[in-house]
Amino acid sequence: MIRETWALTKRELLRLARNPQAIATSLLLPILYLLLFGQGFNLSASLPPQEVQKQLLGSPTYFSYFAAGMTGFVAVTATLFIGANVIFDKLFGILKRIASTPASTASIFGARLIAGSIQPIGLAFLVLGLAIGLGHLGLSGLQVTAAVGPISAFEIVLAIVILSVMFASLFLAIGFSIEQPQTYFAVVNAINLPVLLTSAALYPWGFMPAWLQNIASYNPVTLAVWVIRINLFAGATAAYPHPAWFYLLGLFGWAAAMNLVATVLAWRALGPRH
Amino acid sequence: MATDVAASGGAIHATELVKTFNGSVRAVRGVTFSVLPGEVYGFLGPNGAGKTTTVSMLTAGLEATSGKATVDGLDVRRQRAEVKRRIGVVFQESTADGDLTGRENLELAAALYGVPRGEVRSRVDNLLERMQIGDAADRLAKTYSGGMRRRLELAAGIVHSPRVLFLDEPTLGLDPQGRAGFWKYVLELRHEHSMTVFVTTHYLDEADGMCNRIAIIDHGVIVASGTPGELKDRLGGDIVSVRPVTWSPSLGSVLEEVPGVTSVGTQDGVYRLKCANGESLVPAIVSACVGAGVGLQSVSLKRPSLDEVFLEFTGHEFREDEGPTATDRAVRVGQVRQRWGARR
Repeated sequence: MIRETWALTKRELLRLARNPQAIATSLLLPILYLLLFGQGFNLSASLPPQEVQKQLLGSPTYFSYFAAGMTGFVAVTATLFIGANVIFDKLFGILKRIASTPASTASIFGARLIAGSIQPIGLAFLVLGLAIGLGHLGLSGLQVTAAVGPISAFEIVLAIVILSVMFASLFLAIGFSIEQPQTYFAVVNAINLPVLLTSAALYPWGFMPAWLQNIASYNPVTLAVWVIRINLFAGATAAYPHPAWFYLLGLFGWAAAMNLVATVLAWRALGPRH
Repeated sequence: MATDVAASGGAIHATELVKTFNGSVRAVRGVTFSVLPGEVYGFLGPNGAGKTTTVSMLTAGLEATSGKATVDGLDVRRQRAEVKRRIGVVFQESTADGDLTGRENLELAAALYGVPRGEVRSRVDNLLERMQIGDAADRLAKTYSGGMRRRLELAAGIVHSPRVLFLDEPTLGLDPQGRAGFWKYVLELRHEHSMTVFVTTHYLDEADGMCNRIAIIDHGVIVASGTPGELKDRLGGDIVSVRPVTWSPSLGSVLEEVPGVTSVGTQDGVYRLKCANGESLVPAIVSACVGAGVGLQSVSLKRPSLDEVFLEFTGHEFREDEGPTATDRAVRVGQVRQRWGARR
C-alpha cells in the first residue's frame, strides 16, 4: 500500500511540477495581497498602539495580524484545484484506469490528499517568510513579538498542516461527488468566499460585529489563524480566552469530519458502480 | 458447454449476467458464455448492445444486478482485488496520462499492479521497445499520436503479465494500419504469455480475422456464438440478393424453383437467396426472373461474412445510427481535453 500511495503521490507532484503556470498563479495571489492590501490597510496610522493591540487581539500591527491571517487564507485557496483535478481525471478516464488496478481506495485517496496538501503548506510558510522579509525592505512587515520556541513552532506547523488537510479533504469530497468542472467551480466559489469572509483571517477582530465574531470563532480558518497569532505575538496569549492547543483540537475536529466525508465519497466513487 | 469449461478452469465464465440501470434500463439481459484459457474471444455487437457493460462487470468495475461471473477461477463479486491483480484492461477511451511520459505511465502501472521492484525497469524498457515507443519513452504522452497512445495503453495493461486481457473497443479511432499494428502486438503477446484475450468490437472484419470464437450480442442478449467459420457455415453458403424494379410477391416462389437455391427470404424489397455456389447460379436466377416477366434493378453476390451472420441472427443490419456512438464519445472526450487542457 505504501508503494502504491507513493507512486500515485509522485504522479500528482510531477503533474504539478510540470504546470509552472499553476504554481505562478498560486504564488501571485498571496504576494499581491501582502504588497497591496496588507500595506494599504494601516490601522497604526489612525489609532494609538494600545488601541491597535486591543482591536487586533495582541497583534502589534495590522500587517502582522493580516500576515498571520494570510497563511490561513492561502491554505484554503491553494487547495481549490485538488478537487478539479479529480474531475478532470474522471473525464479523461484516468481515474477509471487507476481504479481498475488492484491499488486500494485508501492509496488512491491518500495520495491525492498528501499531494494536495503539500502545495498549500509550502505556500503558507512562504507567506510567513515573505511577510517577515518585507519588514527589512522598508515596508510594513510581520513583527514576531513572542519568543518562538520549538513548541510554538510545532503548533504553528500543526495548525497549517491540519487546515490544509481539512480543506484538501473538503475539495476532494466535492471533486469525487461532482462530474462537471463548471459545477465544481460554482460550488467551490460558493463555499470559498463565505468561509473566508466569516473568518478572522483578514478582518480586525475588534471591528467585527458580535454576531460575526460568534460565527468566526467556529470557523476552521479562524481557529488555525488564532493558533498562529497566539504563538507569534507576545500580547496575544492574554487576549484569547483559550490556549492554542484548545483551538488546535477544534481544528482537528473539523479536519476529521471533512476527512470522513471525503473518504466516504471517495469510496463510493472508486468502488464498483451500481 | 459453459459448465464444462467452468469445471475445467475456464478463463472467463459468465452465467445469466444481468445489468439493469436505474431499475428499468436493461443493458445486459442474462448473458451466459465461457472463454477457454488462451483463446481470443470476441464480443461483437453494435453500439449500445451491452458489450462495455459486460466488460465492466467482468473486470469488477460494475456490480451485476444478478448472475455470476468468474475470471481465472475467481468470483468477480467476492474476490474483486484478486481478480484485478490477474487481469489487464485496455479501455475504449484513451486513458494514458498525458502529463506523464510514456515511461512514467508504465512505471506507475507497474507499481499499482505490484510488479516486483527489481523487474520494473527491465519490463518497462522491454515493453517500450516492443511497442515501438522506445524513442519517445521520455516524451509526455500528450505528444503521442493516437496509435502510439493505444500501444502505450496496451503496454500498461500487460506490464504485470495478466492471465486475462480485456480489450474494450481497442482499435477505436485508429486507421487501418494502426489497427493492424495493434493486433500484431496483441497476438504476439498472447502467444508468448498464453494470455486469454477478451475483446469487444464493432468491427466485423476484426472479429472475423482475430478471434478464435465470437459471441454476437444485440440488445443485451447473445444471439449467436461459435467460431467465425461455424457462424458463417450456419448461413448455408453464399447469399444472392435480387432487387426487382417493382416488387413482385410471386417472384419468391419462382426463385425457390431454381436448382441449387436452398432458401429464399426477403428484406427491405430485396429477395435474399441462399445457395452453395452463388457465382454459378446467378445466370439461372436472372433467367428465372426474366422468364417470370420481372425486371431487375440489381443482382449481387455476397460470400458468407459476419455482416451476413449478424443480419441473419438479429434480423437487422449493424446499427450505426442509434444514440451516441463510441466514436462520438471519443471525440467528445477529445473536445473536453482541448477545452480544459490549457487550464490545468
